[in-house]
Amino acid sequence: MGKFSDKDILLEIKDLQIQGYSDETWIDIIKGVDLTLHRGEVLGLIGESGAGKSTIGAAAMGYARDGTRISGGSIEFDSMELTTATEAERRALRGSRIAYVAQSAAASFNPAHKIIDQHTEAPVQYRIQKRMEAQEDAIELYERLRLPNPEEIGFRYPHQVSGGQLQRAMTAMAMSCRPDLIIFDEPTTALDVTTQIEVLAAIRDIVDQFNTAAIYITHDLAVVAQMADTIKVLLKGEEVEQASTEQMLKSPKEDYTKSLWAVRSFQRPQKKRPTDGTPPIISVKNIDAAYTGGVKVLDDVSFDVYPGMTVAVVGESGSGKSTTARCITGLLPPSAGEIQFKGETLPPRYTDRSKDQLRQAQMIYQMADTALNPKVQIHEIIGRPAQFYSGLKGGDLKQRVDELLDLIELEPSKYYNRYPPELSGGQKQRIGIARALAAEPEFIICDEVTSALDQLVAEGILKLLDRLQKELGLAYMFITHDLATVRAIADEVVVMQHGKVVDQGPKDEMFTPPHHPYTDLLLSSVPEMDPNWLTTLLEERGVDNVGEAADV
Amino acid sequence: MATFVFGYYAALIIASVILAYVDYKKWFLMVFSLLLVSFVAGIVGGAGALEVITIFVAVLATAAAVSYAFKFFLVLIAKPNLAKELKTAPLTAAFGMFVIFTYAVAGIFAPLIAPHGQAEVISGAFAPPDANMLLGADQLGRDIFSRIIYGARNTVGLALIATLGAFFLGALAGLLAAVKGGWFDQFMGRVADVIMSIPSLIFALLMLSILGTSTWVIVVVVAVIYSPRVFRLTRAVAGNIVVMDYIEAAKLRGEGDWYLIRREILPNSTAPLIAEFGLEFCFVFLLIAGLSFLGLGLQPPTADWGSMVRENATLISFGDITPLIPAAAIALLTVSVNFVVDWMLFRSSGLKEQ
Repeated sequence: MGKFSDKDILLEIKDLQIQGYSDETWIDIIKGVDLTLHRGEVLGLIGESGAGKSTIGAAAMGYARDGTRISGGSIEFDSMELTTATEAERRALRGSRIAYVAQSAAASFNPAHKIIDQHTEAPVQYRIQKRMEAQEDAIELYERLRLPNPEEIGFRYPHQVSGGQLQRAMTAMAMSCRPDLIIFDEPTTALDVTTQIEVLAAIRDIVDQFNTAAIYITHDLAVVAQMADTIKVLLKGEEVEQASTEQMLKSPKEDYTKSLWAVRSFQRPQKKRPTDGTPPIISVKNIDAAYTGGVKVLDDVSFDVYPGMTVAVVGESGSGKSTTARCITGLLPPSAGEIQFKGETLPPRYTDRSKDQLRQAQMIYQMADTALNPKVQIHEIIGRPAQFYSGLKGGDLKQRVDELLDLIELEPSKYYNRYPPELSGGQKQRIGIARALAAEPEFIICDEVTSALDQLVAEGILKLLDRLQKELGLAYMFITHDLATVRAIADEVVVMQHGKVVDQGPKDEMFTPPHHPYTDLLLSSVPEMDPNWLTTLLEERGVDNVGEAADV
Repeated sequence: MATFVFGYYAALIIASVILAYVDYKKWFLMVFSLLLVSFVAGIVGGAGALEVITIFVAVLATAAAVSYAFKFFLVLIAKPNLAKELKTAPLTAAFGMFVIFTYAVAGIFAPLIAPHGQAEVISGAFAPPDANMLLGADQLGRDIFSRIIYGARNTVGLALIATLGAFFLGALAGLLAAVKGGWFDQFMGRVADVIMSIPSLIFALLMLSILGTSTWVIVVVVAVIYSPRVFRLTRAVAGNIVVMDYIEAAKLRGEGDWYLIRREILPNSTAPLIAEFGLEFCFVFLLIAGLSFLGLGLQPPTADWGSMVRENATLISFGDITPLIPAAAIALLTVSVNFVVDWMLFRSSGLKEQ
């Protein structure tokens, strides 16, 4: 804290209490949080979902989301009390002195207007700059954020720009009025590791250059370690602890913080391919695929999955990981090549496959919210595959559902009759797993199953999947872009880029140098807990490299 | 008369003072504004204007009281889950439900409630109301009150069947189009476009002139005319559902279209469909009343609100409001259904959560 003197406090939140309305009563969401932010300081807010990070972020602008209200405490921004300020006064602050960068830039830009039109709106509205000045300033900001083609990129529409670039354009937009405070609400969570670095580097540079204070909200510790001067850990609307970044990383005081730090430690022993000539359970042989009328999405993809093993398929978004899964399940028939199941060729279309072939390959989805029908009770979701494939009925079916619920560590009597929206994210994902298991498959495709979950919950799911694999001898095809997950659970790794397999092999070989250049890029892009990691990495790669990578 | 005026102002003043004392700001504002308006109305319109205001307020208060009691009644007899939903219903929705309930009772028990038969001639033409005939007689000497009761059965029943028909046709086609996609979807969409491109009343008049005016022809023609709207809504709602992962999971499991429609899609699309049902019912109801007014709907001597308006229309020139009573019955039902639908739309849009 020594870097910032007490004199230039920018934002001071005292004993903040926020309530949310549900079931006809007001429930406390934030239970008395204090926060002090100096000029130029970056504060990292971390915690699992539901901890109230975003709510506090919004409250720093004096804003309470629909269905919530600020019920107590004070929010003082540059010696102006926001809780008692009129709506007009608060509006005058937002955009000009406090700016907000949302998680999904793609959803936050208006698709009907050009990026630069949206950028210049605030400065023109607040009469800080004339339209042409604002435009020139925008181009300068784009240049500083190392966006490719800064002169021209602003005149594109949001959908013509990649996700990482859009996120940087949004940061530039937040900067347009040179605010005193920017609130970053999980700005890189939706991005790939390789893109994330570019955005992180850009944000850090610009915050440094303009000496802007920032609140950086995230659930990723390694990311916050790069960005923040101070870290505050939240749990269920209460502060757990706050310390400077280095201190927090070296010696966390509270147990909860330590548990967050320990999450990444789960690892299981690596298995080798069977040597006794067992055929692979799924064999992808030289498949090409394309969506109707489009260019090739998959180009000559081949890999094998052996019984009882986990094959992780990694790569950035758009590299064809999920498309490969769609080919295996038969949703997208490949235009060349074939999928073999235990040596026999599967029909390319799922409609042509037999019930038994369909049963053998099950899928667990990324978004448990959309993967479970919200209007169907848990016992029917899980029971249906058992009923459909094995013809179980009545008492047998109920027993099977109970068995499956036991298997996924949910108490049968409690969950039997509930509906998916009543469950938490982790529980929903468990139900998704149970539904896959109900078919008694030998092979399961896990499509980014943990990426929508908090780290603690995700670890629970990984452990569960690992246990099930041991007990039931399942083979997994694990699609992910998170290399920490790969490290934890995989036996073999397949690296994909632009629809091609660029590298594959056993995990230990893949994680020890020498790597394929793309594997190396992926590996080195995973944030580490070291606060100097980003700086070191950028120096190694050279600044120009970062900008070019964004052009992909 | 003077006592009434004094009592009127005294009651309002006392009420506003009490409300001010107990700090019911909203009610105080309402009562006190009414008092101020009454000063003007009293000076300009005299005691008569004050009486009109009193009657209006009394009717409004009665309706509110009845709705409140009816809502409480529904909450008590409903199952816990439904009761919780009902508790959040606004008074307008409760009022709507009460009116629908009343119409349903009138329609179902019409022969028991109506003092005379619908085709029974019991007095001279246009006989004034008396002890025997609550609302007087129509142009043939039939009891208007009885005919209105029977009209609830005939007109509302017919509209209900026609709407159900439209829903069955439209929803089935919409769900199949969404699930199957491809050429089937295109084909159904174009058929719907063709039907929708013809103005509905003209299409109905045309079909009824060709096919005659038997009850079943009316039902089928109206159902066909209104099914494309249901088709389009269902297809749009189901279209958003079929892209969900759980549908993909069910497809990959090897489930048939019928299972997808019945178990996966329908439970997720009931809320908008029910709301649409309420709206469509109003349109169908008005179309049938309109057809009857033009003489192509239900045929005499069957009592029907639309034709009753037409038959007694001449009375309006004599300053008699009798022909407006069936019209008012139509309006009241339409408004009530819309009250209930509004509440359902509000619920299904999830606005209360925010």
